[in-house]
Order: sequence, then structure tokens, then C-alpha cells
Amino acid sequence: MTTVPTQSTETVAVGPSRPRASETLLREAPRYLLLVAFLVTIGVFGALRPSSFLTVDNLKSILTQAAPLMVVAVGLTVVLTMQLLDLSFASTIGLCGALAIVLMSQHGISWQLAVLIALAAGAACGLLNGILVSYFGGTALIITLATGTIFTGVEFAVTGQQTIIGGVPLKYGEIANHTALFGLTNQVYIAAVIAVLGWLLLAQTEFGRYMHAIGGNQEAARLSGIRTRELKALGFVIVGLGAAVAGILLTSSASSSTPQVGAPYLLPAFAAVFLGSAVFKLGQFNMPGTVIGVLFLGVIQTGLTMLNLTTDVIYIVQGSILVVAVLLSRIGSGSTA
Amino acid sequence: MLAIRGLSKRYPGVVAVDDVSFEVAPGEIIGLLGKNGAGKSTLIKMIGGAEQPDEGEIEIGGEVVSIGNPRDATGLGISVVHQELADVPSLSVAENVELGLGYPTLGGAFVNWRKLRGSAKRALDQIGAEIDPAAPLSSLSVAEQRLVMIARSLSTELRILILDEPSASLTEPEVERLLEVVRTLSAQGVAVLYVTHRLAEVFAVSHRVVVMRDSRFVGARPTAELDRSTLIEMITGPALTKQAPVSHRRARAAADGDAPELLRVEGVSRRGVVEDVSFGIRAGEVVGLAGLVGSGRTELTRLIFGADKRSAGRIFVAGEEVRIRSPRDALRNGIVLLPEDRRHQGAVGEFTIRENVTLPTLDQNRTVALLPRPSRRKEREVAGRYVERLAIRGSGVEHPVRLLSGGNQQKVVLAKWLEHGARIFFFDEPTLGVDVEGKQDAYESMDRLAAEGSAVLFISSEFGELLTVCDRILVMAEGRLVGELANDGLGERDIIDACYENQKSHV
Repeated sequence: MTTVPTQSTETVAVGPSRPRASETLLREAPRYLLLVAFLVTIGVFGALRPSSFLTVDNLKSILTQAAPLMVVAVGLTVVLTMQLLDLSFASTIGLCGALAIVLMSQHGISWQLAVLIALAAGAACGLLNGILVSYFGGTALIITLATGTIFTGVEFAVTGQQTIIGGVPLKYGEIANHTALFGLTNQVYIAAVIAVLGWLLLAQTEFGRYMHAIGGNQEAARLSGIRTRELKALGFVIVGLGAAVAGILLTSSASSSTPQVGAPYLLPAFAAVFLGSAVFKLGQFNMPGTVIGVLFLGVIQTGLTMLNLTTDVIYIVQGSILVVAVLLSRIGSGSTA
Repeated sequence: MLAIRGLSKRYPGVVAVDDVSFEVAPGEIIGLLGKNGAGKSTLIKMIGGAEQPDEGEIEIGGEVVSIGNPRDATGLGISVVHQELADVPSLSVAENVELGLGYPTLGGAFVNWRKLRGSAKRALDQIGAEIDPAAPLSSLSVAEQRLVMIARSLSTELRILILDEPSASLTEPEVERLLEVVRTLSAQGVAVLYVTHRLAEVFAVSHRVVVMRDSRFVGARPTAELDRSTLIEMITGPALTKQAPVSHRRARAAADGDAPELLRVEGVSRRGVVEDVSFGIRAGEVVGLAGLVGSGRTELTRLIFGADKRSAGRIFVAGEEVRIRSPRDALRNGIVLLPEDRRHQGAVGEFTIRENVTLPTLDQNRTVALLPRPSRRKEREVAGRYVERLAIRGSGVEHPVRLLSGGNQQKVVLAKWLEHGARIFFFDEPTLGVDVEGKQDAYESMDRLAAEGSAVLFISSEFGELLTVCDRILVMAEGRLVGELANDGLGERDIIDACYENQKSHV
């Protein structure tokens, strides 16, 4: 919620005088600041590790590693556009990934069916969040924090909190790892397709427009006849589905399941989406921005690892980047605190 | 105690308070009266430090003071208890009473609860309120919460207490108790400005009455010298010369009773807010809905529109009963609402004019009929038509709505509904905070809609403009429909009479 000025301070901005070139540059510059930072970061890592960083192999590896993050970040962008939060997706990733592995390895179910069931489970998790938040009026922050705990509990019940190896069909592993066009793995293409779908949804369809309206002014949207409850629930289902895909990709690349495989994705996903809101459309979540955010994080992670920095440093840097990104997007949108 | 001299306040396009002067003696209870928009609120805001006067001065205890903000006012012993409860429901009564004063501490860090409750108890005792200081505020009734707010103002050295509609949403015994508290404070030498619409309370408690009308000071008279009708005349002014109604230009088929009833509502209710309201609007008619603040007008339209839940009531559109349980249902039946609170409910501020106008009709602006993909070109055409037709200012269809003036935002909302093809329009205070030109635009819009065969319901607190535009005027008081006046030789006075006459007497 932004502060609402009183009636008396209403301003009429009619026909602004033509901005000078320097002003235009100044106003437009913040939108690309992050893009510049991104390129500079690549340059710095390239200079520090010329033989290993700026190579095709490294590019492929960054893209592959970024794929699961991309998939969840796309879903998260959709709910954040509606000013909703989902903190449960990291648990959904773990639940769906583990579910697929257990079904194949312990119940002999085919990999196709396992994938379908995992996707359905992800959608069901999202639907539960959606119903609790938009039909029962729960606060998204707390509801999803709570359901996340439930989802992790279900995962533990399914796996007995064990790492599960063996009995996974080769085909399942190929979902993520199969090398396709240009020597890139399948999961890069899956992530790319999902990012494009997410962009189409938010930027090119009526539903996307309605979601933006909900995020901008939910009451006005409702009074305009928009199905606000249904769309909010749909947003959570999309996050759930994205988390299921990410879970499948993660357990597919490993051909095994370890407990809470999604946990490390909670912060980076938010970081990527908020970074994204500091580029292209300042202060607004947008899919192209999210893609940049995901790649930025991927580059930083790989780069820092190549500099032989340890996890502690990587965490501190990632957290700091999120803070800077959030502040950047706020400065850009011109709002005060 | 308090002297106001030549106080004036202007907003862009309006003079809210125009050269008002009067004095208040210690212990005096002043009933401050006036219609909605007469300038009472602005006046008390200036005394309370929330607004700065453009001209004039305020004297307290013989000294000219400058009240730059509410904190200054508190320091001077002025306290304003607003109509909306401004307290923290999750805290205890004691914490609320002492809120913002700096709680007594133990060793500078820990709250000294004993001392806190003790001083809160003293404040509550002073107004004779038997409320447990340790109870959570949320467990109290609205009336008790108001008493807590009054008690809060006592914690500072109180000299002038301003009560803005303190009896709103209180029951009779609660009002009685409130008036008793006011008398107690007055006996202790506190000057009280009692702002209200309820005449009975004014007669019961005040020593003197100050009346404002059209931003000006009308008069101050000892209450004992007044009777009800004299007071109403002070509030409404001498019989107004009737303005030439816009509606004369309209084909008046509706007035003859030939036109079919486009909207009919029967027994619409929501417990405690709206009670058993029934009325109809014919095609080609503009019907005014008058009432004082809190009479339930906005609530009534929201109930019919499906924005809030009705506890009872049937709705008929063009003679057929329709089921309206959400705004979507209302829209499907051609009923639209232009809300009072445009910023929060009418438009999406971050959206452009184009995006707001096409919001309910987006699926009619597709690039390809079967694909849910909006065509910006078509959207621009649609929005462009309305920008031209309604003369919406700004740099064109891509102008962000939040940067438009109130009147232009109103036009954007209207454009949205015109494009939707609505037949039944609810305008809730469309001219609030709008300049003169914008008001004229709004009248003409409503008149034109009716001329084209729509049914229009027009809520306004400026009864003069109801007379200008409406064929009939419905009057609400305390959630009920209490009168229906044909706009035929009607004066503003008649509407106000109906508003005041029909309120339940509380004392």
C-alpha cells in the first residue's frame, strides 16, 4: 500500500514540458542500471578467471544450473504481480521431486505416470494455498509458511526422510540431462519454454492484465467485475506447478532424491524476481526482468565458486544483492519509504 | 479560553473555511452545526493542527498561538476525538489511554505497568467511565472505545476538547453516558466543541450553538433561545432561489410515469447498516439519494451492487428478478457503481487511461476473436473515443490515471462503464473534491445518461446539486429510507428538513 495523498494535494500533470535529453537519460538510466551491473559482473569474473569463466562449457553449465530456479521464479513472478506471497514453493519442490522418485523406485510406477502425479501434487499444493488465501481470506505470508511446513511433513512421510537412490528409470534422468540442440541440456529448454509461457501470460493475455489490476488495486479490480478470487487461486496453482517442474528437474538430474531438495531455492527465487523488478519496468515485477535476475544470480554463484569462495561468502553476497535490488527498484519507482 | 479570528482555508478551486470568528469560554459546551461540506471538518482540523489556516489567527487563553501540527495542539491542551476510532485495538485500555505520551518506566527500559494502569484509571475515573484499564481495547464496545479516546485526551492537561460526531454508531444509553461525560468535563472547566448532525444532542448538552454554512460562520446563539425550526433554518439558510434544473433539457417521459422501471429493489437490508430499503428508478430518471453522513447511502449502493453481502433484499432489473451476489453479477445486469473513493475503489492508479477504460471489456478488444490477447490498437481506439467525448485531460490514452485530477479520474471510471454498456448507474459523490467545471461535467453526464434512457442514482451531500439534476430525491436516515420528494418546486431546505426530522430522537 502506498500512502494516499489527501484530496487537497491532488496534482494535475497535464502536458509536461518537453524533457531535455539529459533529463531523459537520467530518468531512463535506472531501468538499465542492473543490466549494466550484470555485464560488469560478467566482465569482472572473466578478467579474474579468463581461462575458465568465459567459455562455452561454463555458459552451458550456468544455464543448466539456473534452469530449476528459472522455473520457480516464473511462478513466483505471477503471484508477486498480484501482491501475494508464496513461501511454500521450496517445500513443494521437495515434495514433488521426492514423490516422483518414490513412486518409481518403490512402487514400480512408470516415469511418465510419476511425472504426471508429481505435477498434479504440485498443482494441488498450490490450489490448497489458493483456497486458503483467496476464499478463506488467510494472510498469504502466514498461510504459505504453514502449508510449506505441511508439505515438507508430507515429503518426510513419503520418504521416511531418507535419501532414495536406485530403481529410477534412465528415461527419468534424461528429462533434465538429455543433451539437445546446441549441446544444451533439456532442462535449459524446458526452463526457456516456461519463461516464455509466463511472459505470454503476464504481458500478452487478458488474465495477465487482470493480475496486474489486482496487484495495482484489488478493490477496483473486483468492482470492475474481475474474478479476483479465482485469479489469485490460479496464481498459487501456477507457483505449485512451477515448483513441481523444478522438483522433477532436480531429482531427474540426480536420478535420486535427497530430503528438502528445494530448500536452497527459497531466497534465490525471491532475489531473482526482485532483481527483475529493478530492470526494464522499474518497481514492477516483470518476466524479462525475472529472467535477467535468474541469470545474474547464476553468474554470481558460478563466478564466486570459481574464485574458490566458500558457501558462507556466497550466502552473504546473495543476501546483500537482494537488499540492493529491492532498494534499487524502490528508488526507481520514485516512492518514498 | 479559545478565540478564533478570521480563520480561512482555501484548497485549489474551493474555499473550505471563509473568515470564521467566534469565541469559547472555559467550561462552555458549543454545538458546532452545519451541513456536510459546510466547513466544520476543516475548521476543527485547523484548531487541531492537522491543517494550517491561510488567514486568521487562533487565540488560546488570550495569546495568539501557532498550531503547526497535532503535537503542538496537544501541548496547548487541545484534543480532537475523531469520528473514526484512532486507537490500537490489540493493546490494553491503559496502553491506549497513555499512547504517545511516553509510558512510565522502571529503570528507563521496562514499562511500569502499575503506574501506567494507575494513571489510566485516574483518567477514566475523571470522566466516570468504569472500564478496566487492563482489558484489551478490542473487547470493548464502540461506545466504550470512544470513552477511552476521550480519556486519552485527559492525560495531557486538557483545556479544549473537540468531539467530531462522537455519537455516531452509539446506542441511546451510550449516547446518554457520553453526554454525561461531556457535562462532567465542562464542570471541570474544559471547553467542548461538539460537532454533530443530531439536533437532539445539541439541545440536550450545549450551552451555545455555532452554525456554519457554505464555509462561513452563520451565527452563534445560546441554545436556550433556540427552537428546532429556527436552528434548522440557520443550518439551511433562507429559502433558496431554485436553480434551473439541468434536467429540463431531458425528455421527461419518466416524470409522467410512462417509462418502465429499470431498477427496483425490495427490502434491501444489512444488519446494523441498512434496514429494509425499497425503491425503484425508471428509465430516463435521475434519482437523488440524500442523507447525512452515516445515513447508509454508500452502504445501500454497495449492497445493491453486490460489493457487500445483503442479509435480505430482492433486486429487479427491467421487471425481472435478478440474482446479484457479486459485482460481476451486477455488471452482467447492467448495473454499475462509480464509487465515492475513486483512488481506492474506482480506478487502478498505476494503469493508464486505456488500461482502466477497457478493464471490464477487455475480452471485446482481442486481436483474434478466440485468443484472449488484448489488441492495444483496438484498446487505444476505444479509450481515445472517450478521452475525446468526455474531454479527459492529460497527455492522451497512455496517461497514468494516478496523475489525473479527481474530476478526470471520475471521467475515466465513467468511460469504463459507458463502454461496458451499463443501463443503471450509481454515482456516489461524483463531485467530491472536484472543481466547478468538473462538477458541471458530472451533472451533464448524468443528465445525458438519463436522456439516453438509463436509470441514474445520484448520491450527494450537496443537496443543491441534487435539486439541479434529479427528478426525485430519496432521503435516508440511520439506514432507513425515510422520505421521497418529487423535485417540483422543492428547496434545499425541504431535503434537510427530511434528513433531520426523520432521525430517531436519542435524548
